[in-house]
Amino acid sequence: MISDVLIGLGLVFLVIGTIGILRFRDVYSRLQASGVSDNAGLSLILIGLIVRSGFSGDDLKLGFLLFLLLLTNPVITHSIAKSAFVRRHGAGDDAK
Amino acid sequence: MLIAESLLLLSLIAALYLLVRGPHAWDRLLAYNAASNRIFVLLALVSVISGRHSYLDATIVYAALSFLGVVILARFMERGGGHR
Repeated sequence: MISDVLIGLGLVFLVIGTIGILRFRDVYSRLQASGVSDNAGLSLILIGLIVRSGFSGDDLKLGFLLFLLLLTNPVITHSIAKSAFVRRHGAGDDAK
Repeated sequence: MLIAESLLLLSLIAALYLLVRGPHAWDRLLAYNAASNRIFVLLALVSVISGRHSYLDATIVYAALSFLGVVILARFMERGGGHR
């Protein structure tokens, strides 16, 4: 019950973020939409899976996976944004 | 649960479409990161639903290796390689 609500809320965030990374116009806006879908949506889906699996031994692995997702995703976002900014990739030049 | 799996799969297909379409190299890198995140959450979902406990170990290894790959590619493109 609770896990269904959490997974459903995560799917809503996931769909919103996926529409965002398809519709936005440059790399920095896409990074922001990717932060919505990956940090909020996938973390909510993983929390729902932790609630669903119960005290079975899988919950520690899923919690470690959630910790890994929340630790590495901001690092990856910062790394891609710094890489595009250092190479003087301007905002808004998506036109080939 | 079938709805969750099919929405995750549609989102993965959208990320792979951005990986093919993206005009610049950083769009493709972002799409690769998004696709690998969706792949390992889909693996965790399949593992919890179908009760195959050994998929979770493969999921943890996949998450760590995809993080390393994306960070190394971003550092490589920061120093001036791989894009026009």
